[in-house]
Amino acid sequence: MKRSLVLGLILLCGCYRVAKVPTTPTVSAPTPVSRGDGRTLRVFIWSEYIDPDIVTAFEKANGVKVILDTYESNEAMLAKLQGGGSEYDIAVPSNYVIQTMARAGLLQPLNKTWLPNLKNIGAGFLNAAYDPGNTYSVPYQYAATGLAFNRARYAPPTATWDLIFGPQDTLKFILLDDPREVVGAALKYLGFSANTTDVAQLRAARDLLRRTVAKRGFEGFDGGPGTRNKLLAKQIDLGQIYVGDLLIATEEDKNVQVELPQEGTTISMDTLVVLRRSPNPELAHRFINYILSAEVGAAISNYTYYATPNAAAQPLLDDFLKEVPALNPPAAWLTNGKLDFIGELPAGRPQRLYDRIWTELKSR
Amino acid sequence: MRRTHPALSAWAWLVYAFLYLPIVVVIVFSFNDSRFGATWAGFTTRWYGVLFARADVREAVAHTLEIALLSTVVSTILGTLVGLGLWRYTLRFRTGLTFLLVMPIVMPDVVMGVSLLMFYAFVRGLLERAGWTFDNGFWTVLLAHVTFQISYVALTVRSRLAGYGRDLEEAARDLGATGLRSFLHVVLPLATPGVLAGALLAFTLSLDDFVVTYFTSGSGFRTLPVLIYTNVKRGVTPDINALSALLVLVTVVAIIAANALLRPRRSAT
Repeated sequence: MKRSLVLGLILLCGCYRVAKVPTTPTVSAPTPVSRGDGRTLRVFIWSEYIDPDIVTAFEKANGVKVILDTYESNEAMLAKLQGGGSEYDIAVPSNYVIQTMARAGLLQPLNKTWLPNLKNIGAGFLNAAYDPGNTYSVPYQYAATGLAFNRARYAPPTATWDLIFGPQDTLKFILLDDPREVVGAALKYLGFSANTTDVAQLRAARDLLRRTVAKRGFEGFDGGPGTRNKLLAKQIDLGQIYVGDLLIATEEDKNVQVELPQEGTTISMDTLVVLRRSPNPELAHRFINYILSAEVGAAISNYTYYATPNAAAQPLLDDFLKEVPALNPPAAWLTNGKLDFIGELPAGRPQRLYDRIWTELKSR
Repeated sequence: MRRTHPALSAWAWLVYAFLYLPIVVVIVFSFNDSRFGATWAGFTTRWYGVLFARADVREAVAHTLEIALLSTVVSTILGTLVGLGLWRYTLRFRTGLTFLLVMPIVMPDVVMGVSLLMFYAFVRGLLERAGWTFDNGFWTVLLAHVTFQISYVALTVRSRLAGYGRDLEEAARDLGATGLRSFLHVVLPLATPGVLAGALLAFTLSLDDFVVTYFTSGSGFRTLPVLIYTNVKRGVTPDINALSALLVLVTVVAIIAANALLRPRRSAT
């Protein structure tokens, strides 16, 4: 399914280039005309990624209707928006597709005067490299990638990528079915940036990954839910997983836990953007501002178990979430290079290198 | 009756197990008291309660059925006409037309979905210039489904008729039947099994289509497959197992009913 959507995206991009070549990136998009009725807000978002009560409260307070539509990958979302599907007001892309969307002319610059609550976002999450000056996006929720295990089956003395990439050969483990996460983890283990374009570093990561997938304990690639279920069923010892995807399972089994590897790890931020063709840009901004408030930011994390970049929301989180170190990586990690945002790769050689490593791993 | 070799029947059972075990697992797990369904945590029927409480699921089911029924009716009528036309008339571009009919069947869904999406965007652009507009939703999805269903209906109707010449119809005309009467009493009954098969195919195709529906549906309009597939990111919730179990139940009942209803008619034709 995902493959066919990716194919669709490629097809679309092809057609798009032929149809209208955007000569310059649309940094100064024209002021959008409000074509909507100002009463209906259309949000394109991941499934189960917002507390429905929060949405209802917004609807009541503003006398509007909010329509939530869901997608299952950034690629699927992009494909639909680029094809000129419905005119959504807000989308929730991961950080590494923002520039792609901006270049395709899908986004409008945010009007900061409508977003006073932007001050609630922690300083470490503003002005990130993926969107300097937060021109197009505000941070919504983020997930660091951690190492998960079931204490009833195997409890590592320390969380370290060494358990996966090191010499031991018997622990059963799963890697995320995501090229940037897997190559990124190998790079972090070797002490490099997860976004490196250095050929020698990428070669080292490739060799490491070749050895890793040849191990006896390697149980394949899987997404978050699959890995979580196998940990709950005690079928594996370790899994690479988005912290939020595992935390939600602790309700069922306190023994499943997730920690951030001491070598550092990757992180990806889902963001709120206003689409250029948004029929109700003013309402879209009001909704984003509402989400940026401390109470709402906390309520959403208490629902999704993903981390909030909203500093003001931190004290309002459920005690359980406050206590999980993996959800709240040390602030220093954001600046000292231990936590790398999965970034957009320059097209051309670096992109091809990542692709080639992944193809080789998957075709084994 | 000849007895089947035990190895052969063992093989047959193996094939059946392969086909049906996954469905059995889903049904069993719809009664599993675990949010993640990884291990058995006791018997519960609560997922059925959760399912019936979900307005989005109810809405998606309604949309799915509306689209499936309507598109089946439309495409069965249009497809039957196409199938009959191809059978009856010697057309100049028959090969070309058949080729056009087969194309939507062999074309990947995703090509169809994306091209329809772009087509709608193009049409919307034209209409906007004239001061009109529309939003993708019910009608665009309906049109998309009809588009791919017509081929299936037309081809099944045509292949049903392929064995017959025009002599039966001509005999009816010789005996004084008008064109309409010979069509209604001779040609259509001959084609009926093909029409029914085509309609059933069209209906099932519409029911479980994801890719085309995903691309052509607008905001706020979701069918069941779209609802389920877009839940992949955080893992499908157990109430979807309950939904699947119900769907299987409905299908089984429908098949039994269809068999009971169609049996006498089948021996007549």
